[in-house]
Amino acid sequence: MLDAGLCRYVLISYGHNAFSSASLFTMLMDFAGDDAVFGHFGATGGYALAARRAMHEFNTGPQTWKHIAVAQRAWANLNPHAMMHGKPMSFGDYLSSKYVVEPLRLPDNCLVNDGGRAVIITTLERARDLRHRPAVILGLGQHNPSVQVTQSGTLTGSTGARKACETALSMAGVTRDDVDACQIYDCFTYTVELTLQDYGFFGPGEGESWFSEGTIGPGGRMPVNTSGGQLSEAYYMGLTPLSEATMQIMGRCKDRQLGPATQTKEPSIILVSDNGGILQAHSCCVLGRI
Amino acid sequence: MDREKTHAIVGVGYTPQGRVPGRTSLSFHLEACTNAINDAGIPKDHIDGLICYRHFPAPSDENDLTPHLVAQHLGIEPNYLSQDAN
Repeated sequence: MLDAGLCRYVLISYGHNAFSSASLFTMLMDFAGDDAVFGHFGATGGYALAARRAMHEFNTGPQTWKHIAVAQRAWANLNPHAMMHGKPMSFGDYLSSKYVVEPLRLPDNCLVNDGGRAVIITTLERARDLRHRPAVILGLGQHNPSVQVTQSGTLTGSTGARKACETALSMAGVTRDDVDACQIYDCFTYTVELTLQDYGFFGPGEGESWFSEGTIGPGGRMPVNTSGGQLSEAYYMGLTPLSEATMQIMGRCKDRQLGPATQTKEPSIILVSDNGGILQAHSCCVLGRI
Repeated sequence: MDREKTHAIVGVGYTPQGRVPGRTSLSFHLEACTNAINDAGIPKDHIDGLICYRHFPAPSDENDLTPHLVAQHLGIEPNYLSQDAN
C-alpha cells in the first residue's frame, strides 16, 4: 500500500476490554468446538496439549518455563507501565502457583487486561523527517502451514515459525548471530520456548540449559520480552512485542532500555514474532536501526 | 533489499491498562490511535490506511468492532481499511 502510493501513513490498532468483559475468558477456557467432547476446552487447553506432548518427546517442562516467566517478570519490574510492576516473582513462587490447565500454571499464561495499543508505519524517507529515530522494518516472513491444531502434522515443531524467521532474516540480509534481542509473542511461556527453538537459538530439549544462565532477563546475552511481555506487561496480540521492539530501537525505554542501562547489547537488530491459532500461523519481523 | 526503499514504525500509542472498568473496546482503539498519531507528530488527516489487528469476538453487549467504526470515530477517511483475521 505504501509502495503503491495508496497510503502514506498506515495506522495499526488493537483495543479490548478483555478484563471487564467475558469475551477473552470465553475464548481461553470455553468449548473450542466438537472436540470439546474429547475434553478440549479453549485455547489454553490447546496450548497445554502441545506443551504436554513436548514434555513427553524431549526435555522440557516447568523447569524450563520457570526461567521464561521469572525473567519476563524481572523486565516488568523495570517498566512502571507493566501490570506486574512491583510484583516480583521467584522460581519458588512460580513452582508453587496453581495450574490453569496442567502443565500450564498461572504465570505460564498471558495476562487478561483492558487496554489498547497502536503503531504507525510509513516509508523510511518520510520517517526521517519525523521526531523519533525510525524503527526500520528490515525483513518480514510469514508461514502458516495449517489453520487448526487438529490439522497440524506436528504438535511440537518445527512450526511455521522456522520458515517465517528464515524468510525475514534473508530479506533483511542478516543472520541469527546479528540479532541483539527478541520480542516474542508469549501467549504462554511454552510459546516463547518453541518459537526461539524454531528460530534456531537452541535444539529441542536444550532450552532448559539455554535459558538457565539468565540468558533472556536483564543483563542477559539475548534479552527477550523486555517490557515484561504478555506474561507480565499486558496483552495486545502481536502489538505487545512489536511496540516494545519499536520503543527499544527508538531508545525510549528508560530503566529497561537495552544497552548500558541494563548491561545488555545496544539494539541494532531485534527479532519480533507473532503466532495465531494454536501454534499454527506465524509471522516474524526484523526491526532495526539504520 | 534496498534499505532506502523500506518502511519504518514512527509512532506508538499506549493507553491505561489492566483493570479499567466501564470502557468499550472501541474506546481503547481510539485512545491508542490518538496517542500514536500524537507520538508520531503528524496531523490525523495524514493517516490514509487503517488496519485493525486480529481480535477476539466482541462481548455480547457490544457490536463487533470494525475498522470503519474506528475511522469514523477518529474523524479520518482512509483510502484503505482492513480487519486482520485471527
